[in-house]
Amino acid sequence: MRNTASRVRLAAAAVTAVASIAALAGCSSSSHSGGSSAASACAPAKGKVTLQYWNTVPGMDKVVALWNKQNPDIQVQTKDISNDQYGTISNSLKAGNAPDLAQVGYDELPNLRTQNAFVDASKCGTATADKSKFVPWTWSQTSFGGTGVFALPQDTGPMALYVRTDLFTKYHLPVPTTWDEYAADAQKLHAADKNISMTFFDPNNAEWFNGLLWQNSAKMYSYSDNKWQVSVDSAKSKQVADYWQKLIDAKEVRTDLANGSTQMYAAYQKDQIASYVGAAWGYSMFRDNLPKQAGKWSIVPMPTWSTNASSGDWGGSTVAFMKGSTHLYESVKFNTWLNTDPQALALENKLGGLYPAATAGLKMPSLSQGVPYYNNEKIFDVFAESSKNIDTDFSWGPTQKTVNLSLQDAMAKAAAGKGTLSGALSTAQAKALSSMKDLAIPAESGK
Amino acid sequence: MTDTETRARRVVAAPDAPRRRRSGGGPRAGTIAAFLTPFFLPFVLFYLVPVGYALWQSFRVVRRTGGQYGTSYTTFGGFHQYAQVLHNTEFWSSIGRIGLFGIVQVPVMLFVALIMALLLDTPLLKVKAFFRISAFMPYAVPGVIAAIMWSYLYSPQLSPVVDLLGHLGLHPDFLGPGAVLWSTANVSTWLWTGYNMLIMFSALQAIPQETYEAAKLDGANNWTIAWRIKVPIIAPSIVLTTVFSIIGTLQLYAEPAVLRQISSNISSTFTPNMLAYAVASGNNYQQAAAISVVIAVITFVLSFGFMRLTSKKAGL
Repeated sequence: MRNTASRVRLAAAAVTAVASIAALAGCSSSSHSGGSSAASACAPAKGKVTLQYWNTVPGMDKVVALWNKQNPDIQVQTKDISNDQYGTISNSLKAGNAPDLAQVGYDELPNLRTQNAFVDASKCGTATADKSKFVPWTWSQTSFGGTGVFALPQDTGPMALYVRTDLFTKYHLPVPTTWDEYAADAQKLHAADKNISMTFFDPNNAEWFNGLLWQNSAKMYSYSDNKWQVSVDSAKSKQVADYWQKLIDAKEVRTDLANGSTQMYAAYQKDQIASYVGAAWGYSMFRDNLPKQAGKWSIVPMPTWSTNASSGDWGGSTVAFMKGSTHLYESVKFNTWLNTDPQALALENKLGGLYPAATAGLKMPSLSQGVPYYNNEKIFDVFAESSKNIDTDFSWGPTQKTVNLSLQDAMAKAAAGKGTLSGALSTAQAKALSSMKDLAIPAESGK
Repeated sequence: MTDTETRARRVVAAPDAPRRRRSGGGPRAGTIAAFLTPFFLPFVLFYLVPVGYALWQSFRVVRRTGGQYGTSYTTFGGFHQYAQVLHNTEFWSSIGRIGLFGIVQVPVMLFVALIMALLLDTPLLKVKAFFRISAFMPYAVPGVIAAIMWSYLYSPQLSPVVDLLGHLGLHPDFLGPGAVLWSTANVSTWLWTGYNMLIMFSALQAIPQETYEAAKLDGANNWTIAWRIKVPIIAPSIVLTTVFSIIGTLQLYAEPAVLRQISSNISSTFTPNMLAYAVASGNNYQQAAAISVVIAVITFVLSFGFMRLTSKKAGL
């Protein structure tokens, strides 16, 4: 969901339309799968090795070319799977020809884990030693709370508030530090001019909404008593839902725009919206799509629910160790380089817009400079601070994609006036339980 | 088709046919095989095998060894997946939605196609080639591209149509909860009317001129000729296009899937095929397979039911 423009989304839809037929007609052999294979032992191979690495990051081929030049014995081949990332990965797993390494979003990790998609690289000493190199919450996601090393974190999407300073000045709005202040600003702005909204609530974007829930320390999933404890509709989550419901009901935020769509840029272009609740990777979206608004934007920390600093994450990915890899030792070596080497991280940030998950990456020279578009503000300091304030205990569910779709459908109904966002969380809670039951994953309603 | 076959058989079996052609069974079988293989091989590989695989999948269920993540495997589950589908309210509401869509869209589209075909067939219309090409043009546009194009015309932020209507004091919401189904129907209609028109038009072309001359001698005007002679004669092609449209409606996917990108009023389970895709993307391949099979059965029943219902009247 690191989308840039609606054209990309529409093109993706086009491919999805085709892929869906392929998925329904051609999904390969049964999902019967054994435990870890014997080939996963961590020993260096004799002679030259070629690794397969599937990803969706623009410019990744150039990063890999750099590695290939420096490591003649471990050659890496990349494949761009951005057309249908998880469809491609799932189908390859069933067909038994998965790559050595694949890019997987944090929220899809548990899902693929329940499909036995990964190999545990913790038997490779260096993999476990990598722990100290990454932002803590990213490590707990990829090690599933310390039960192994199944992927290395690549990038993250720490959230912040994008503010149109010129509009804030014009309407005498104070920059908000809490959600209450943000709502007060929204009301003031709406009262001053009905045609301007504080922001938009994208009902078709569960990933974004999940980031807001995450910020409020909502726990959607945990595991105890030999069962998954599902609490998608917890009080913490409902607090967030009720807050946005009020803004929607008062028509103080718009609900007719999708993140990254041409329509969204058009609304910002016409000065109809004064702020944006976004992630680190979004900084280039405004820079590239609204060049005339250079100097009008500022990035500040996300408003908080209490006086404690807290933030959420929206998006970001890992590079997973896929089941069936015969070269785990070399995979660990390459994966570690790819996600911790300063040269690699700088290139990925420049070409692919990745905001690194490695702590050293956050201190990259390119990330400590002012950004011209944002009045030469050091915006990455804001994201680095945000990254530190993300709740490390948050975990995703094993049927997250199904739950997200269900949440989106119900959120859209709420935005259309049929139901509430709080009700949408209850719908998603029920869907979480039933979808897990369908896949024989033991689950119950959490406390 | 049956007619042509029997006629062909009669020709082959005719007493005056050369005898050696009848006795030469060997080479003839080889020839038949040579002609049929290019069709049957892909047909088996890309149609029968996937259908069989989907059927097999639909009778399986996922099981799992213990633990937080466990190890999954599939096993025979009888009609479990089908029971799930039949009890799925989302499935039935998607069928209901598509039913409403079809009941309105199919007659409208075919009526427009018929009128256009009849117009094309009259001497009244002068610029036939231009009319035919422009009516058929939308069919040449892939469905996904058409949906993208229309999504720009529907979108309030970008659409010149919405802008223009705004100047006239109208503020339509093409993507609103009540309107979005009909906006989707409009894309389908735009795409397929020309195609259906061509099928009906080619049927009209096959009517011998003598029929019209006879009608004119009997005092029929253009109107009577159109409704009393042309339409009844091309009834089989109208039935055919209706069957195609029923099948197409039940398989609706690309247009709503694209419009979903700009309208949150299209849910992920808007049409039966979208539901199947959503379930498959949640890794529940077995239930997705069962949904697909049920859609196929409903399509089969409806299209063949319609054929049976109309075959006598249409003279098929």
